[in-house]
Amino acid sequence: MRYISSRLMFYFVAFLIAISFNFLLPRLMPGDPVDALFAGAAGRMDPSQMDAVRAMYGFSEGTLIEQYFKYVKSVFTGDLGPSILMYPTDVTTVLGFTFPWTLFLVGLGVVTAIGLGLVIGTIAAYRRGTWFASLFPPIAAVVSSMPAVVTALLLFYFFGLKLEWFPLSYAADQSLEPGWTWPYIKSIAHHAVLPLIVIIMVSLAQWVMTMRNAMINVLGEDIITMAEAKGLSPARIMLRYASRNAVLPVVTSVAMGLGFAVAGQIFIEIVFNYPGVGNTLLKAINARDYPLVQALLLLIVVFVLIGNFIADLTYLWLDPRLRKS
Amino acid sequence: MSQISLSAKTSPLRRLSFSRVGRRLARFLSFFQGNPTGAIGGGIMAVVVVACLTAPWLTEFEPNKRVARPHVEPNAEHVLGTTRQGRDVYSQLLHGGRTSLAVAFIAGSIATVISILVGIAAGYYGGRVDQWLNFAMNVVLVFPQLPLLIVLAAFLGQVGPTVIALLIGITSWPWGARVIRSQTMAIRQKEFVLAAECMGESKLRILLIEILPNLTAIVAGSFVGVMMYALINEAGLEFLGLGDPTVVTWGTMLYWAQSSAALYTGGWWEMIVPAVTIAIVGGAMALINMSIDQISNPKLKTGPHLKRWRKLNKAIEARRQSGGGL
Repeated sequence: MRYISSRLMFYFVAFLIAISFNFLLPRLMPGDPVDALFAGAAGRMDPSQMDAVRAMYGFSEGTLIEQYFKYVKSVFTGDLGPSILMYPTDVTTVLGFTFPWTLFLVGLGVVTAIGLGLVIGTIAAYRRGTWFASLFPPIAAVVSSMPAVVTALLLFYFFGLKLEWFPLSYAADQSLEPGWTWPYIKSIAHHAVLPLIVIIMVSLAQWVMTMRNAMINVLGEDIITMAEAKGLSPARIMLRYASRNAVLPVVTSVAMGLGFAVAGQIFIEIVFNYPGVGNTLLKAINARDYPLVQALLLLIVVFVLIGNFIADLTYLWLDPRLRKS
Repeated sequence: MSQISLSAKTSPLRRLSFSRVGRRLARFLSFFQGNPTGAIGGGIMAVVVVACLTAPWLTEFEPNKRVARPHVEPNAEHVLGTTRQGRDVYSQLLHGGRTSLAVAFIAGSIATVISILVGIAAGYYGGRVDQWLNFAMNVVLVFPQLPLLIVLAAFLGQVGPTVIALLIGITSWPWGARVIRSQTMAIRQKEFVLAAECMGESKLRILLIEILPNLTAIVAGSFVGVMMYALINEAGLEFLGLGDPTVVTWGTMLYWAQSSAALYTGGWWEMIVPAVTIAIVGGAMALINMSIDQISNPKLKTGPHLKRWRKLNKAIEARRQSGGGL
């Protein structure tokens, strides 16, 4: 319990730091951000809405400290004002219809990549010296070192544009009525194939390498010799003795992995014009919709923090030593 | 007469220095022999760096000037074709590589210096210092870096390569710092550090002379890691149009290709050439990093030597089973 509460405390502080960063951003800008903002919104907003945005920015009356607390309050009440890009829709509403797509892609992609990475990493460590163990990790590392933009563009060009196997844009066929109908779900799956492949390609190597390196270290330990001396089957040793211990460093590297996946996701969404958070982020930047930009950044940070907390809980579940203390 | 004696005097000296260079070279090459990942990665990087540095001699075209009709297919004159603006892609690739690699190098250097300072301080001093530095590390580590960079770049306006290098450098130190910290903690307990402490050496000397040299492999690994990351992120930021589009880099090449819809209008080379180049250079850096990992932790080695070891092992096993003993 103490472990969980100390982790929660850490994430809360990290969240506060993110909010403070967000608060400082428009103040770091050269020139007056509000003027720049209104230039971008030319004619689309009436004066009362401008005041609302001004308030949203924290550029209200009062000292910097008072402005800061007002801003923090607006974040916690979810009252982030209207978006300029999609005026008069609220920023919060925009987050509501873009986030599920990103969650779907990143969630499915990362979970698949971790699963594949664990299996491949285990095999690569356990069967060292075979062609698979010698070739696969370097290949995976090289593939993952390609920027997500590049991977996405190459797949987009060959499988989307040239071979026409997969659609080039949107999350589903625009002519279909959204709902839990078979054709719609099928269309979503068809649209998600290429983005998912990219996200797996980008993040797979990290899990493979972490698992493989941890596994190689565990295999040198006495517990393995002990298990072999007992005459247990190799499969049992590999799964119950080695993997369980080796998976712990993998869980601790989730922070980095999630960051990579989310970063990759932004480019994937832009290349495949997928209606998620990353795509909206770029549109918001180009439209100078700074309130939406800040809100999206905060949303991404919260998403990564929650992902990390889930990893912490998994760690707790895997490592009984932590539960006892 | 005097000339002959002079040459007789100098020739052994010369031979000596030549043989010394030869031995050095042989040692350098033999290092790569048992290390195919390092050899391939290092080879590719060497070729790319030399090609970029000698760009003005390798191409006659200015990277930023209109030299032909738009989207000329790759041919003898324009080896990699031209862009929508009629600029030579090959020339842009070589000249752009200079900036892109420089950004990666600067960002890598900044991040490495910070990570050494933070990592060694936290690992050596422990206690309060470690607590605070570790907290700072974890906070920076938990924030998704690229979205942060994107938003920063968006608020700062179109940022040039120098600013991009600075931004990436000051945000990507925690990975290196974390590894350096844990390694320093381990080295701190070793006898030679204790001995230096007992002799009353200054803290700075212990950190720089006793501890730092033992971290070489890790420092090198994190340097290459950040360089790879910086290359990727710079290209990403510029692809999104957040960089300065007038500077030629691999990232802005992607940006122009995307904004001129090169893939749709049949000018695929404008997009594919920088994309594949970034992929190859990133891959080369990944290979170098893998080989550094294997040097600092020989357990991770795979490939020929391991096969040899297995064969020997099998032979011993066979002899043992036939009752011959060792």
